Amino acid sequence: MTALATRAEQTPRLRARTARRRRFPVGRSFVAFVLLAISAFTIFPLIWLVLTSIRPANTVFGGSFWPTSVTFDAYVRAWNSTDFGLHFANSLWITLATVLGVVIFASLSGYAFAKLRFPFKNVIYVLLLATLMMPSTSLIIPLYLQLKSFGLLNTQVGLLVLYVSSSAPFSMFLMRAFFETLPDELIQAARIDGSGEFQIFWRIVLPLARPGLATVIIFQFLQTWNEFIYANTVLQNTDELPLQPVLFGLVGQYQTDWPTLCAGLTMSIVPVILVYVWMQRQFVAGMTLGAVKN
Amino acid sequence: MSTSSTLRAGVRPRSRSGASLWKLQRSERMAGYGFVVPITVLFVLFVGWPIVFAVYLSFTRWSGFGSPTVIGVDNYTRMFSDPVAATAFWNTIVFALMTTLLQTVIPLIIAVLLSNVWRGLSVVVRTLLFIPGIISFVVSGVLWKLIYDPNLGTLNNLLKSIGLGAWQQHWLSDPALVMPSILVVSLWGAVGMNMLIFFAGIQGVDPTYYEAAEVDGASRWQQFWYVTVPSLRVVTAIVISLNLMNGFKVFDLIYVMTAGGPNHASEVFGTYLYSLAFGSTAGSIPQLGYGSAFSVIVMLLCGVAVLVQIVLSRRASR
Repeated sequence: MTALATRAEQTPRLRARTARRRRFPVGRSFVAFVLLAISAFTIFPLIWLVLTSIRPANTVFGGSFWPTSVTFDAYVRAWNSTDFGLHFANSLWITLATVLGVVIFASLSGYAFAKLRFPFKNVIYVLLLATLMMPSTSLIIPLYLQLKSFGLLNTQVGLLVLYVSSSAPFSMFLMRAFFETLPDELIQAARIDGSGEFQIFWRIVLPLARPGLATVIIFQFLQTWNEFIYANTVLQNTDELPLQPVLFGLVGQYQTDWPTLCAGLTMSIVPVILVYVWMQRQFVAGMTLGAVKN
Repeated sequence: MSTSSTLRAGVRPRSRSGASLWKLQRSERMAGYGFVVPITVLFVLFVGWPIVFAVYLSFTRWSGFGSPTVIGVDNYTRMFSDPVAATAFWNTIVFALMTTLLQTVIPLIIAVLLSNVWRGLSVVVRTLLFIPGIISFVVSGVLWKLIYDPNLGTLNNLLKSIGLGAWQQHWLSDPALVMPSILVVSLWGAVGMNMLIFFAGIQGVDPTYYEAAEVDGASRWQQFWYVTVPSLRVVTAIVISLNLMNGFKVFDLIYVMTAGGPNHASEVFGTYLYSLAFGSTAGSIPQLGYGSAFSVIVMLLCGVAVLVQIVLSRRASR
């Protein structure tokens, strides 16, 4: 109880802190101008992308920056000629399944590492932690061979297994940080009340970790949706491919049909933009927690 | 089997006897293992063992058929006489260092500027700057490939239209320009994320430090230099380390934009090991051993990046 009380007292102070303006020795309007210029430069390629996708095909090269007439033909072409719906669905289910798998594994183990006592806990934790940042680039060869020996090569399940196992440790680390902020008394009290360990986790701890879960979900969604090297290597059948390798293949295919190419790219980023806009606040909160806390 | 039933039903200690306490702790232990085992098994199968296997393969010659032939350190010595390996080495190192420098300094400056403007503007700028960071490297790579296109691309058209036609370049097919051109794309994608990390760090600086500095008569520059910058040391160490790692392991962006070309001019370890193992041209024999040697080098470089972070944050907290 005392732990909860002090936490509650801290909040207003924290808020006052963040509300405070920082000092920087340059005029505000000038700073604003510079920032807007940087933003414009940053966003320009994306505006160009969307504008190119809605141009009539014959005005792409040599026309003015703003299209004089607008057409959505390119979207129809991109959708029909590349089986876009199928690959979009592939991406979606693989991504959602990965998110689910990572959430389950990461929250269970994160809780165990944060709050449960069992022998060799630290050994296992350090083992997982030591390779947290293992780059997919350097694991691609042995993983390819590993999937081959399990007969999982060229299957979406194989890809899914790689996604879950390569990203679960990082999310575990995030979830552990979240669970550690919960007071031990909470769990002790539940045990004395006779709750089983899984019940405590499911009914008491997990609902309290919702902000942490939201972070893991968003992070994992973006990462899996955008993943390229595993998807491009593990899967060979065109029908099973998620979007990223397909988009990569479009470059050669539509070398001069830029509106179709741009329409495909634009459609592929709609989900990540939606997730970002929808859960931006939690995303930023979680990101900063993850980055600053360790 | 009593353990599983304890797990499910939970323990109801009716008395405070030692036996029930023991039972209590046992259920906790069993739950601990139960919760940790799935992730550990996955980890061993698809991270731990592959690491070991990559190290083993790096000492062998293998095309993927039959069994690998152990050849000692030949793969590593071979790198020294392989001109493509040399290019990949320099490209990887320079790319990692340059991205780390630019992707740390520029986001830091923007974050400091942002904490000095109206809240509304700050939110808008943060949102816009972050968007390239959530787009896949495939999409950003293809998009910038179109922008860089020498004949039809927006960049050259733009230069021409503002009277700088002489500056038009073959951005991705000129060996001298290809790496800087890719670097710009990397920077474009990374600024937002790193800026956010710094921004959060700045929000966390204790305001009393600024008050104390003001009382001591510190100018705003001095406050920035002697309060803001030192307070961000740990955050900076994290950003540097993350950028170094991303630089060492770079693959997607370069593979999509140039696949290591023209004529290996933009080859990095990532693209080179991929083409050795999975073939850049159809029909080439996979060189899994030699490719794995580069995998091991990338792992070691990422280890260095972690060490850099540990050293920098330790120095910061002293």
